[in-house]
Amino acid sequence: MASRDVEDEILRKWTPLILRSLLIVSAVILITGLVMMAVSTPNYYVERFHAAQSGRSHVQQEWAQMGRGAISGDAHSLLMIGLLVLTLVPLGRVAFTLILFVKQGDRVFALATGYVLAALILGVMLGRIG
Amino acid sequence: MLTIVGGLLGLALLAGFIGSLSGLGGGVFIVPGLVLLGHMPMQVAIGASLISVVATSAGASVAFVRDGWTNLRVAMILECATVTGALAGAYLAGVIRPPVLELLFAAMMLQSAYFSVTRQSDDPVPAGDKWCSRLRLDGEIINPDGTRSHYGVIRLPWGAGLMVLAGLMSGLLGVGAGALKVAAMDYLMRIPLKVSSATSNFMIGVTAGAGALVFLARGDISTAVAAPVALGVTAGALAGSRVLPYANARALRLLFVVILLLIAAEMAWRALDGI
Repeated sequence: MASRDVEDEILRKWTPLILRSLLIVSAVILITGLVMMAVSTPNYYVERFHAAQSGRSHVQQEWAQMGRGAISGDAHSLLMIGLLVLTLVPLGRVAFTLILFVKQGDRVFALATGYVLAALILGVMLGRIG
Repeated sequence: MLTIVGGLLGLALLAGFIGSLSGLGGGVFIVPGLVLLGHMPMQVAIGASLISVVATSAGASVAFVRDGWTNLRVAMILECATVTGALAGAYLAGVIRPPVLELLFAAMMLQSAYFSVTRQSDDPVPAGDKWCSRLRLDGEIINPDGTRSHYGVIRLPWGAGLMVLAGLMSGLLGVGAGALKVAAMDYLMRIPLKVSSATSNFMIGVTAGAGALVFLARGDISTAVAAPVALGVTAGALAGSRVLPYANARALRLLFVVILLLIAAEMAWRALDGI
């Protein structure tokens, strides 16, 4: 496949489709989470809001625990998943660019894009450590 | 709960709308909005703002990349610098005292206001320098009459240096640092303005995403604040982009720069009071 065709296929077809879908999914999850919290645990929301105001917003959840919570209908876990899906949008964008450079056989730019992708993943690890 | 969510949604909607109309981005308005009106500590406001920057840049950049305005090679080579700065910034944001962050934020607002009122150069060069040509960073733009014009790219090391600073600002203060990115590409690297803006927009989401992931993994994002803010800013930015073609952009930008300067003064005053 010619380089231009590869670019068209990846950038103009798949990237917008998947990234728009991720955006819509995250918005739906966030709205669902907020509605569920308003219905089931509005006091918990108010408590978390005041905790944030007083600088006590730190809540570190394991990913698996977050997933289990979301499945069982825990609104806080659902909101965390929604925010996580949202932050996956730039990650996805970089991943698609990496695929493009690899397909084009452009080693220097594949390496540069790989570094950016690795740095984004390192961000998660840094957050877990520090 | 509904009053709080409504208040946050309204604040974020306004910040996204003004940020989109002024071209300054939602981050410069959402952080002071949360700190001064929502009585939030800086770290909480920065975390929520980073998430909202990711959300707003996502929609726009998809269109820019699809329409071919983004120079992906320039974006990825410069993103190596911004993402490094953003990781350092997000890490430092967790340890720097809030009044110092507020003072830095006020300084960043002044910088943003300066770049907003100075005229962009938009004076492309026909050929790139040795480094940029070797990396094939040059590109083409499509003119209104359908013809194509070639542009060169110069001064990559200087541009990359400024991008580390832009990334540091993004991770540390929760903003997109778009004004600095566009200035570096347009003034310094002589990339055409529309390509600079589109490339900057692509980069903003990735840079903010790096910072947001550190905050999210560290458990420092308050879902109670970030969720309504992300939804409100996105809706506000979308509304702003619809109104923009019918608005007097220059007059609006000047008005918002005055507002920005007033908020910067308030933030600086608050910071100095706390130090």
